[in-house]
Amino acid sequence: MAVKLQPLEVLYCPVCSLPAEYCEFGPDFEKCKPWLIKNAPELYPDLVKGENKWSWMCIFLHSSGTTSDVKKDEEVKRLPGGKVKKKEKPEVIVEKIVRNKRKCVTIIKGLDMFGIKLSDASKKLGKKFASGASVVKGPTEKDQIDVQGDIMYDLAEFITETWQNVPESAIYFIEDGRKVPAMG
Amino acid sequence: MFKKFTPEEVTGQNQVKASVQRKIRQSIADEYPDLEPLLEDMLPKKAPLIVAKCQNHINLVVVNNVPLFFNVRDGPYMPTLRLLHQYPGIMKMFRVDRGAIKFVLAGANIMCPGLTSAGGALDEEVSADAPVAIMAEGKQHALAIGYTKMSAQDIKSINKGIGVDNMHYLNDGLWKTLHLD
Repeated sequence: MAVKLQPLEVLYCPVCSLPAEYCEFGPDFEKCKPWLIKNAPELYPDLVKGENKWSWMCIFLHSSGTTSDVKKDEEVKRLPGGKVKKKEKPEVIVEKIVRNKRKCVTIIKGLDMFGIKLSDASKKLGKKFASGASVVKGPTEKDQIDVQGDIMYDLAEFITETWQNVPESAIYFIEDGRKVPAMG
Repeated sequence: MFKKFTPEEVTGQNQVKASVQRKIRQSIADEYPDLEPLLEDMLPKKAPLIVAKCQNHINLVVVNNVPLFFNVRDGPYMPTLRLLHQYPGIMKMFRVDRGAIKFVLAGANIMCPGLTSAGGALDEEVSADAPVAIMAEGKQHALAIGYTKMSAQDIKSINKGIGVDNMHYLNDGLWKTLHLD
């Protein structure tokens, strides 16, 4: 072919990332509407006609609020089937696994949910407890930190001290297969 | 296929040998002749071509951190939807009726009746086991990329069951993967 094809510009909705014409089938059509009315009115003539007055007012009134709404929504992951996955409550779970009867490994899960870099955390833990600490891919696609040795006794304190944004109430120990809060 | 795809599923990224690079380029050119003059821009010989291996035998062809093509095992290379939207003419097209859009966007395979009904359309030349773009009634952009299970003739005559396997659709994991690094 002699003629080079030119790339086509496609209008993507910034809210749901779909091409504008598919917004109506997207995860959250309502959220897209203000943007659509502004940028692609020809695709949804009904929308503009019916809601023109309203939406403009809404945009005007909520212009500051909508942006934060959108951000929040992105965090809520959608499971297939339209169900909304609830955001997991951030918590740190500490578990001890005994190997060779007298040696153990302490596993810390969930630190990443507090926005902590796991590689940094493992380094700090290793330094504090003078032992090997490594970031390990967990069974459920979640990264965890393995620290050699039984360090459960002052781990909770260490975590709350090093990372101020982790409340002690969010730290749980797993003892005999049961979740026990670290407090008290 | 890419329903739950995340960048974490990439098990390894390799910059491939020049010979493999040539082979990929050749097979893409064979599959999409219209794309051939563009391949030089799309897959520049200079820029490193990376093949990302993912679970379920999926390979992604990645250039400059942007996934452009994918294939399964040794199957034909298919463009990602973002690429297809830019060059809509390169693939054979099927069109589904409006009622099917919802299901296709949820990852369902494309059933024959959705293609043969009033809102649907078939490219009659398409044989079985070929990549096709899935368009939708009243829309101008593709909403999915599929892999035919039977030929267009069969879809018409049998008119039952799965006609096209849904490989990649709007808002699936691959769609959300804008960059791989």
